[in-house]
Amino acid sequence: MSINCSELTKVYEGGKAGWPALRGVSFEIKMGEFVAVTGPSGCGKSTLLNIIGLLDEPSGGQYSLNGRDVFTLSDLERSCPRRDEIGFVFQSFHLLNRLSSIENVALPLMYAGADRAATCERARLLLRRVGLHGKEKKIPLELSGGERQRVAIARALANSPKLILADEPTGNLDSASSKEIMQMLVGLNAEGITVIMVTHDKELAARAGRNLRMRDGRLE
Amino acid sequence: MRAILNAVKTGFTEIWAHKMRSVLSFLAIAAGSVVFIESFAAIFATYERLEKQKEVSGMARMKISQNYSQTYSSPDEYVPPPVIGYEDVVRLREKMPGFYMVSPEGRDWRNVLEYGEHRLTTSLMGVTPEWVKRDFVYTLRGRFLDWHDVENKLRVCVLVKKAAPPPENTFNKSMMKKYNFTGGFDMLVAHNDMLGKAVNIDGFTFTVIGVLEELPYSKRPNTITGSSQDYKVLAPVTTLFHYNFLGAYQSLDISIDTGSEQNFEESLRKINNFLKIRFGDGDFFIVENQLEMIRERIAASMKSALVTISLGMLAFLAGGIGIMNVTLATVFARTREIGVRRAIGASRRDIMLQFIVEAVMLGLIGGVLGSALGYLWGVPIKVMLGMGGSPIKIWMPLVSVFIAAFTAFVFAIYPAWVAAGLKPADALRAE
Repeated sequence: MSINCSELTKVYEGGKAGWPALRGVSFEIKMGEFVAVTGPSGCGKSTLLNIIGLLDEPSGGQYSLNGRDVFTLSDLERSCPRRDEIGFVFQSFHLLNRLSSIENVALPLMYAGADRAATCERARLLLRRVGLHGKEKKIPLELSGGERQRVAIARALANSPKLILADEPTGNLDSASSKEIMQMLVGLNAEGITVIMVTHDKELAARAGRNLRMRDGRLE
Repeated sequence: MRAILNAVKTGFTEIWAHKMRSVLSFLAIAAGSVVFIESFAAIFATYERLEKQKEVSGMARMKISQNYSQTYSSPDEYVPPPVIGYEDVVRLREKMPGFYMVSPEGRDWRNVLEYGEHRLTTSLMGVTPEWVKRDFVYTLRGRFLDWHDVENKLRVCVLVKKAAPPPENTFNKSMMKKYNFTGGFDMLVAHNDMLGKAVNIDGFTFTVIGVLEELPYSKRPNTITGSSQDYKVLAPVTTLFHYNFLGAYQSLDISIDTGSEQNFEESLRKINNFLKIRFGDGDFFIVENQLEMIRERIAASMKSALVTISLGMLAFLAGGIGIMNVTLATVFARTREIGVRRAIGASRRDIMLQFIVEAVMLGLIGGVLGSALGYLWGVPIKVMLGMGGSPIKIWMPLVSVFIAAFTAFVFAIYPAWVAAGLKPADALRAE
């Protein structure tokens, strides 16, 4: 897993000239790194993360994931690495509230086309791994913030990704839960998974192996 | 396949989670389904009746009657048109001995029949013995008119006894009361044994030599007009001319059965020739044949079928737009969910499939609901209107459900495409 960006730019439509969120960002992330992206609000951290995670397209520049220039690929081809190689953890969890936690975890497996029994087994295993054994049937609204984020992490791990993208994963959590989640991310990194985390929190950032500081759409 | 199954599962969850919205969509499509089934059934019923009619009456039938639609540019130009008299019928019979039936019919209306203290309105019809060769839907007591009666202009008659009317409904009953001027005659024949009795018609005494009893409605072949003609009193056509029931200015209708369908065209040509030689050029008479009448009727019923079908289509269109609206609303209400699904690996195709499957499920369930409704409500309403249940065949609801699902599919394509086109990052940001 390697990530290579050079001169990435992103301009949001709207207004006369649009609004530039990224103004030429270049960096490289190697396999197994734990990178924290920090910076004030509106500096383009989340935009960068979305582009890395193939959720958004850059307006200019080059981005290669594992040596592939992914933005030349079709939507279908791009959905595959998003599903199989990348796991997302969001600030507001983004769980589907109508589904139980086990169904939420099973979703990526379902899109990958795994069969029913295997899907169920794997989802159960993942929930146990994040410490939610016995809460498989609960829907997100019945869980605490920390628990929801753990479901989200279990979901992110469903297809054994090599890269976890976390966008302010502790932003909506109390300090105790934050600690747990952070612990979990560090643990995953220790298993060899590359982690890129966007955060405001200097303390959390300090635990990452490398910090990318952003300001006004550029790396400092 | 698995993807579709998953989409179906999600669809069920969604439909169940938004019961009100789903029910409204069901109803929208169900309305279309109901109209469609009804129109299907109506068309099919007409078609079947015509087919049966074709079988019963055969193709070799035709009818000569006076052409009433001739026009004259001024009253001064009017010359009374030639009429078919009994002589003409006899000549036609002589020229075409091979025909199975040449039956003249002369009608007189509003005759007064007196029997004992009864005094009733009825109608007379002048015929020859050939009349019995038409589709004979009677049982006879006594005897029918014979050639001796005709040649000697005897004052004999045959009365027609009506069968019990078909299952009545209020509407029909009130109409019968209003327009059935000869109800008294029917009562008289029904409740008195008239055979051998003398009756007085418009001052002339006739002897009743036979009574024809109509078959019950269920056993009678439908005629082309849907019900049999209203015969009351049959008498020799010559007698009616002789006693001035029929005037010299009145033209007889002639029903002809050529006996075989093969040389039908030939016979038609012969008849037209005969009329031309006898009465000269000019469209004084029209020769209708049943085949053409049936064809015309089929064409007419197809026309009305198209109208009904297009009504059904319109209803489906309305339902489809309803589904499109609902699906669009769903897409916007679930934008964030679309973002989430995309983030965890759903492709555009997956998203599109999900919304289309959901809409098709709405259509399917609505179609089934509508078919059931169409079947159930069709029964009491039609009985009330006295239409008789239309035959709903098993394939009609199937076709209707299929069309409902297909409509939903077509109308879901655009919303699903909108959903699939959302950028994951934008969708995730949606509130």
